[in-house]
Amino acid sequence: MTIDDPTQLGALEAARAIQAGDLTSVALVEALAARREDRDNAVGAWASDSDDQDIAHALDEAKARDAEDARGPLHGVPFGVKDIIDVAGLPSRLGSPIYADASPAIADAASVALARDAGMVPLGKTVTTEFALRTAGKTRNPLNAKYSPGGSSSGSAAAVADFQAPLAIGTQTGGSVIRPASYCGVVGYKPTFGRIPRAGVKSVSESLDTIGVFARNVADAAAFAAVLEGVDPVTLDDALDRPRFAFCRTPAWDKMSSDAHKAGRAAADKARAAGASVIDIDLPPAFKEALEAQSVVQSYEACRSLAFELRFRCDDVSRALKDYVAAGYETSRERYDWARNVQAVCRAAMWQVFSQIGAIITPAAPSVAPENPADTGSPICNQIWTMVGAPVVNTPGMTGAAAMPIGMQVIGPPGRAAETLGHAAWLHQALTKK
Amino acid sequence: MPDLTNALALGASIAKGETTAVKAAEAAFARIDARDGEVRAWKTIDRQKALAEAAARDAEAPRGPLHGVPVGVKDVIDTGDLPTGYGSPIHEGAQPAADAACVALLREAGMVVLGKTVSTEFAMRHPGETRNPHNLAHTPGGSSSGSAAAVADGHVPLAIGTQTSGSIIRPASFCGVVGFKPSWGAVPRGGLKMLAESLDVIGAMAHTAADADAFAQAMAGRSFNPVQAAANPPRFGIARTKAWTSIEHASAAAMETAAAACEAAGATVTDVELPPAFAKALDAHDVIMTYESWRMLAYERAMHWDQLSPALQAVMERGAGFTAEDYAEALKVRSACRHGLKSAFADVDVLLTPSATGEAPEGLSFTGAPEFNRIWTFTGAPCVTVPGLTGPKGLPVGVQIIGKLGGDAEAIAAADWLRPLLAG
Repeated sequence: MTIDDPTQLGALEAARAIQAGDLTSVALVEALAARREDRDNAVGAWASDSDDQDIAHALDEAKARDAEDARGPLHGVPFGVKDIIDVAGLPSRLGSPIYADASPAIADAASVALARDAGMVPLGKTVTTEFALRTAGKTRNPLNAKYSPGGSSSGSAAAVADFQAPLAIGTQTGGSVIRPASYCGVVGYKPTFGRIPRAGVKSVSESLDTIGVFARNVADAAAFAAVLEGVDPVTLDDALDRPRFAFCRTPAWDKMSSDAHKAGRAAADKARAAGASVIDIDLPPAFKEALEAQSVVQSYEACRSLAFELRFRCDDVSRALKDYVAAGYETSRERYDWARNVQAVCRAAMWQVFSQIGAIITPAAPSVAPENPADTGSPICNQIWTMVGAPVVNTPGMTGAAAMPIGMQVIGPPGRAAETLGHAAWLHQALTKK
Repeated sequence: MPDLTNALALGASIAKGETTAVKAAEAAFARIDARDGEVRAWKTIDRQKALAEAAARDAEAPRGPLHGVPVGVKDVIDTGDLPTGYGSPIHEGAQPAADAACVALLREAGMVVLGKTVSTEFAMRHPGETRNPHNLAHTPGGSSSGSAAAVADGHVPLAIGTQTSGSIIRPASFCGVVGFKPSWGAVPRGGLKMLAESLDVIGAMAHTAADADAFAQAMAGRSFNPVQAAANPPRFGIARTKAWTSIEHASAAAMETAAAACEAAGATVTDVELPPAFAKALDAHDVIMTYESWRMLAYERAMHWDQLSPALQAVMERGAGFTAEDYAEALKVRSACRHGLKSAFADVDVLLTPSATGEAPEGLSFTGAPEFNRIWTFTGAPCVTVPGLTGPKGLPVGVQIIGKLGGDAEAIAAADWLRPLLAG
């Protein structure tokens, strides 16, 4: 088999081609680097500057992998790494001028080390908003440069959408994996809270921060997440004859655009037409306070986790971040305890929600990407699911205004990865079937 | 001479102008010069930096009750101006770009970082050079070895410790100081070298419960609340866990003495039963710790396996043997124990348990067993070890107070109440 353009391959496809001897990891890295060079001015997905040698490092690594037997199902496959996550030999700039001149990291973050140990190749650092919070970086939406790629994992979503990487790592505290995946039209997967180790990730809000992945199909995302978790590959439950979905408006429904409402209803119809059962559900009463509670937990923890930067390097902190953390400083201990309690109650209630269904479907973002690259959009569709620690998959296929994508989130109960991913793979197929 | 054994008193006298942060730092250095050749509590010290920081604090209005107080920082916690080696040759001499969140928060509260204290390798078992200040032939315990020894020996009134099994409570007990492991999650961990995310907790070494509490509050970025003395003597519960089979005479006697002292002072002491889920707690703790450490330290094991100690290699290899299902099951046991803990506190305010199996073992190679600490770290409950008693070898033996989940203030209040009853 000859491969004309390896950048178009999915991750598992590329790994199989490498295994079969039809492709080398070096050739794949070279093709992706060429694609980056062509497209970087338009998309700006990468945080690296020209001195970083990220491609040189990747080529060395790829060469070593090509000389070995496969160490895992994604052996030789390159991936992008959000720039709040350490990669040995490359600086972590965290989207902040404070770290513009950072020295190369000495060690890999745990997740990156697990990927490298499984034979995967770090391709470079992708653009993040400032500390994975508000202030946007240089990345544009690869589908239309007038639009935002979303954030905070802006570069990771854009790089995968633009075929500059088959896979990338992101993080989500509010909606920073699922939202950019929705805006860029790719698969985003945020696993159950706590499963991918966070050592080596800049901590923003410990009770919420979750590592996730971007890919162009659900099976790739599942395989990559399993590598980052250091577990055996998840067998997707994709032979579902009759998936059991629930359509859920969630407390964010009234704040979504009519585009999102329309896309949500159409997705549910497509799922039904393809043979799924789709019932409507409402969330238990505790979830009424969930959005507010998530915001309280995040801002209270962020202003403490970022104490060094906010206190001792504040001249180089953006106005937007200072305004954001002001709420955290003003939050009382009692209010924080209230919010953590709401988190625990909602989390416990998840089992009740999922007693009769396999997964929830709901829009992944309140609209298509904002038509302003500096506005990374709102996480209101994502915050409550991050808060309860649920596995969430953004499933592309639907569109809204200007034919830009609006994803559907597929949500399962914490710990139930295989079934959630299986439902997402099924839905992805149903939504993209011609 | 500034008193380096009471942090709140020292903070108060700095605030009143009776002494200064610079004088406190100088006194700390004088003590270190006299003693650290033997005790070896410190890994890295930069005197000029510490004195400049102290002078800057003296030029300001106090920012909190511990303004100007010198502290030690365990060397698994990042400092932006001092190298941080995690007790491992792999990271020896590495300079982090930023302070850990807890270090930035204590500096914000006006405290002065005096230096980095010795940690065992990645806060696990393989010991550093530190010796027990009460008898140099004995271990100070670990993994927060240097922090416990530095406080016990009067170098600094406060130091940071971390605990994944028993790494605050045990060395504090062996060195005769107060050790406080707050509820899991109370102190932000950004900039801590993680060993097992679901267990790692940042806490305090001090001479009094009030000092430990004030220090932990500062590291949590909270406004200061002084210890609230209980209206009535606390109701203590004693839970005879599986670990009691490994108790030595020193700890058994300390428990009897402490229980008798509590009752003599008007407190009630009753036996309580832990719920059945706790039967699996020790095993589940081991699964979580080892499974996570295999992953958290993935870089070190993949790239530098030969530079890991055999003890750590063994722990990590045990973790590699557990499956995702084993891990998920252990997390379920933890949820059940956390939930079940409520029933153990139905009729008591706090639990009273041994802090360690006995006195500090002789020799430096074995930092002691964490058997009396693991299940409490596992549940995330607050723990305080209270010093004052000694064993047959004349070494300190602590007793431990366990609070409800989130009941840190209550646990501290009980420790504060108990402390004078045990003082010899």
